Amino acid sequence: MRARDLGLASCHTCSLLVRMPASGHVHCPRCGSPVHLRKPNSIGTTWALLIAAMIMYLPANLLPVMATTYLGNTQADTIMSGVIYLLHHDWPLAVIVFVASVLVPLLKILALLYLLISVQRRSPLRKAQRTRLYRVTELVGRWSMVDVFVVALMAALVQVGALATIEPGGGALAFATVVILTMLAAMSFDARLIWDEYGEHYGTAQQAR
Amino acid sequence: MNQSAPLDANPLELIACHECDTLHRIPELAPGRSAHCSCCGALLLHNPKGGLDRPIALNIAALLLLVLANAFPFMTLQISGREQTTTIIGASQALYEAGMAPLAVVVIITTLIGPALVVISSLYVLLGVRFRLPLPMLRSMLSWISHLQPWGMLDVFMLGVLVSFVKLAGMADMVMGPALYAFAALIVISAAAMSALEPHLLWQRLGLPGGQPHAR
Ligand SMILES: [Zn+2]
Ligand SMILES: [Zn+2]
Repeated sequence: MRARDLGLASCHTCSLLVRMPASGHVHCPRCGSPVHLRKPNSIGTTWALLIAAMIMYLPANLLPVMATTYLGNTQADTIMSGVIYLLHHDWPLAVIVFVASVLVPLLKILALLYLLISVQRRSPLRKAQRTRLYRVTELVGRWSMVDVFVVALMAALVQVGALATIEPGGGALAFATVVILTMLAAMSFDARLIWDEYGEHYGTAQQAR
Repeated sequence: MNQSAPLDANPLELIACHECDTLHRIPELAPGRSAHCSCCGALLLHNPKGGLDRPIALNIAALLLLVLANAFPFMTLQISGREQTTTIIGASQALYEAGMAPLAVVVIITTLIGPALVVISSLYVLLGVRFRLPLPMLRSMLSWISHLQPWGMLDVFMLGVLVSFVKLAGMADMVMGPALYAFAALIVISAAAMSALEPHLLWQRLGLPGGQPHAR
C-alpha cells in the first residue's frame, strides 16, 4: 500500500503523514513546511540543474584549477594533471582522488540522466535497483569537493614570496559549481516517481479511477 | 496558512518511505535497531542507543573540538627556512584574497559554518526537548538540521588535507599543527553525534504545536 493511493503525503522535513486537500496546497501541522505529494516540478528542476552541471563540467576539467610558481617557473594544473602528479608520488591516494573528482561527477551525471529518462519513459523495469542507484548517487557526490579543498589549502600554505606561490584558477570555481549543481540536482529528483504508475507524473492530479 | 488535519488513525505509527512511498506501520523500536523499507530497502527509522543524553554529550564534545580545530594552526609549511602556517579559515581566506569570493564562501560554509550550525542547532533542539524548555524556534531549528547536514564536508576536507600534504611534501617540509588532531577527532565525534540523533523521534516527542503530546 502506498501513501499516495490513500491521498496521504509524507512531509519531507518531519515525515508526518498529511491528508492532501483537493487544492494540493498544505502546510505540515507539525513542522510548518509546505507538503507535496511529490517534490514540485521535480523532473524539470532536475533537468535544468543537470544540464547546467554538464555545461560547467567542461571548464571544470579544461581550465587550470591552480597555478604553481616555483623558483620562477609557473605551471598550471588541471584536475587531471593533478591526479597524474599524485600518481608518481602516492598511487593509492591518486586512485582515491581520481575516483572522487573525475569518476564520481561523471558517473553521477550519467546516473541522473538515466534516472530522469527512465522515469519520463515510465519504465517499469528494475525499480528497486534504480532507487538504490539514486541513494548511492545522493550519498557520494560530496566527495568530489576534495580538489576544491586541496586548491584552497595549497593556496593558503604556499605563499612564500618569490620562492613559491600557488594561485587558485578558474577551473576550481567551475569544479565547485559542478559539485553543487549535481548535489542540488540529486536533491530535487524525487525517487518516488520511479514507483509511480503512468499518468501520475510531475505531481499532477491523480487520475480518475 | 492552510493546515490540514493529520490522520484519524494514529498517524505516528505510520511512515511512508521517502524513496518509494510505501506505507509502513512501525512498532516501537528497541534502542540500536532500525527499520528499513520492505519495498526498496531505504532506511525508515533508526532508534539510536543512549536516548537523548548520548547525542547531547557528543554534540557538546563536537562543539569544543570545533573551537579547538579553528583556534590553532592547522598545518605549517617550511621551505628554505621560511614558514607559512594556515588555519581552517585560512584556506577560505586565501581564496578570497586571490579574488575568488564565491569559492571562499563555498569552502567556509562546508568546513565551518555548515558543521557549526548543525552542531549548535542539534544541541539547542536536544536540550529543549530533553529538559522540556519552551525555547523559541525549536521546530525551525530541527527542520534546518536535515537540510544543512549534506553541506557539512569535514570528512571530505580531511581527505583534501591528506592530498595537499602529499603534494607539498615534494616541495617543502610539512608539519602537522595541533588543530589537525582536534579536527580528526571532530570528524569521528560529529559523525557519531549525527547518527545518535534521529530527527524523526524528536519530532514525535515534540508532537503537534498547541500541546497534543504524542503517545510515547
Ligand atoms: Zn512536517
Ligand atoms: Zn521504500
